[in-house]
Amino acid sequence: MTQEMQFKKIVAQYCETAAEDITDDMRFREDLGFSSLGFMSFLGELEDTFDVELDEEDALQVVTISEAFELLKKLQQES
Amino acid sequence: MVIRMEKLIRDILEESEKSYSDITAVKWLWKKEIQEESYATLMEHAVQLRKGLLAEGFQGKHIALIGTSSVEWIECYLAIITGKTVAVPLDAGLPDDDLIDLINRSDSEGLFLSPKNKALLEAILTQCPKIRKVWLLQEEEANAENEKAESLSKLKAASQNGAMDSDRPAPEDIATIIFTSGTTGKSKGVMLTQNNLATNVSSVDYWSEPGTVLLSVLPIHHAFCLVMDWLKGFSLGTTICINDSLLHMVRNMSVFKPEVMLMVPLMIETIYKRLTAADPAIPKNILAEKVFGGNLKIIFTGGAHLDPYYIDQFAEYGVDVLEGYGMSECSPVISSNTPKDHKAGSIGKPLSNVEVAFEDGEILVKGTSVMKGYYKMPEETAQTLKDGWLHTGDKGYMDEDGFLFINGRVKNLIILSNGENISPEEIENKIALGELVGEVIVTGENNGLTARIYPEQEAVAAKGLDEEAVRKELQEFLDQYNKNQPTYRQITGLVVRKNPFIRSSTKKIKRQEAMIDEAVLPTT
Repeated sequence: MTQEMQFKKIVAQYCETAAEDITDDMRFREDLGFSSLGFMSFLGELEDTFDVELDEEDALQVVTISEAFELLKKLQQES
Repeated sequence: MVIRMEKLIRDILEESEKSYSDITAVKWLWKKEIQEESYATLMEHAVQLRKGLLAEGFQGKHIALIGTSSVEWIECYLAIITGKTVAVPLDAGLPDDDLIDLINRSDSEGLFLSPKNKALLEAILTQCPKIRKVWLLQEEEANAENEKAESLSKLKAASQNGAMDSDRPAPEDIATIIFTSGTTGKSKGVMLTQNNLATNVSSVDYWSEPGTVLLSVLPIHHAFCLVMDWLKGFSLGTTICINDSLLHMVRNMSVFKPEVMLMVPLMIETIYKRLTAADPAIPKNILAEKVFGGNLKIIFTGGAHLDPYYIDQFAEYGVDVLEGYGMSECSPVISSNTPKDHKAGSIGKPLSNVEVAFEDGEILVKGTSVMKGYYKMPEETAQTLKDGWLHTGDKGYMDEDGFLFINGRVKNLIILSNGENISPEEIENKIALGELVGEVIVTGENNGLTARIYPEQEAVAAKGLDEEAVRKELQEFLDQYNKNQPTYRQITGLVVRKNPFIRSSTKKIKRQEAMIDEAVLPTT
């Protein structure tokens, strides 16, 4: 499984959309129906799964799927 | 029959200090390592800080706190409310302007500030003329470059050399002012007395062994967390563990292995999603250990309605979910299900210190936990407190067994399942500042906020925008607004209306008809 698909599978656990149907421009809250806490729990799971540490304030600025994935890749490169 | 008890939080804490001296009072994470502090040390620090506040001339004054849960935050809070001083806990996630407004409106003269909010310091010192001292809550962050804020150790040092201790407050003295959403668009400062808090702590019918582990995950400036996690917890000798971030709630359940937690319904719903997303082949007891940490037996919940479905589902994992009901104005618990006496779907029986009555279906409450009033808001106080009865704004009924149920709302507040009460007017006032916003109504839908906007037609025409461009600009405006707001006040849905809102004969927008977009435009 590519890292991107693994990432999308985690996203799919928090919403009603299948991983295959999740596109880069989708917005977590508006398009995928994430609750505020669901989004935070999702971020926590990203940390645990990919062994990265998110800055909470930066992470909460994320709006779309592509922004979240880019942030993840950036953190992985830095670590 | 209302039981009268004249007690102080200081009495309760001093009893705990004697009885549970060596038990761990607080645990927290520091660089991923668990730290802890005993009841003896916690109270020693609180007394030092209390003496320090007296030495600095804060007797009788209001002192604000801005920060998330930390051992220093709670030590400072205890120092304030056990002396003759008034604590004003504020939501650290609010925009700077709102925090400054609340500091001023609460007449706070001192401030305990989290280093994370240090960027606010300069604005506070210039725009809050009553503030005389600011102390940074975490010591290691205070240093010479920031001379305008002092360290807690300096405040504690002021208590040395046999410094005087503060007198005991009187039971009717105000202990704390907690801000809550107002229905008129302006948040209101709920004044709670020593006796309000102490009787709420002692009247919640729950007992646990000293040393029982509780994980605190709610925002500490909320009455539910402050009084029930912390003050009730301390009264029982509970070991209270601090969840460092909502990002890590599930991880920290494995770290601290709590036996009891207080949650809002949204947390229960989120954890349930996690349980159902797991491989169905995993046995429930194994999954419960993985998700709940292995020891969780009880979740108390309140702040919003919980679908009873979750109570049955969690029972299968060995966790009892007990729903209660309250509001800041009642310190906060009014009724609660208990381990011994509960009924799914109800919000439990009223506490022994409150009387409940109904007026046109609205729940009214009287008793020793009912607030003194809203700070410097006599009109709002008179509307809410009538002949000693608190008008809750919730509609409900009591069944033949004495259990209370809620079935609607009187006041115009949006209650999200994270327990946040949102005043739509407060947000509408801000959204209305948008250049393209003609009329706006904020509604609560799908557990988030939706802005329903009728565009300003003159601005649309002047800019020559088509429908799609209007939507794009409005969304950009909302994105910008969201950036400065805590997540619970962010707008997650946008409806661009084709017609103005329907108005009443007094020209007010008919809020209950805000979803209808078929107003007939007036013909001329």
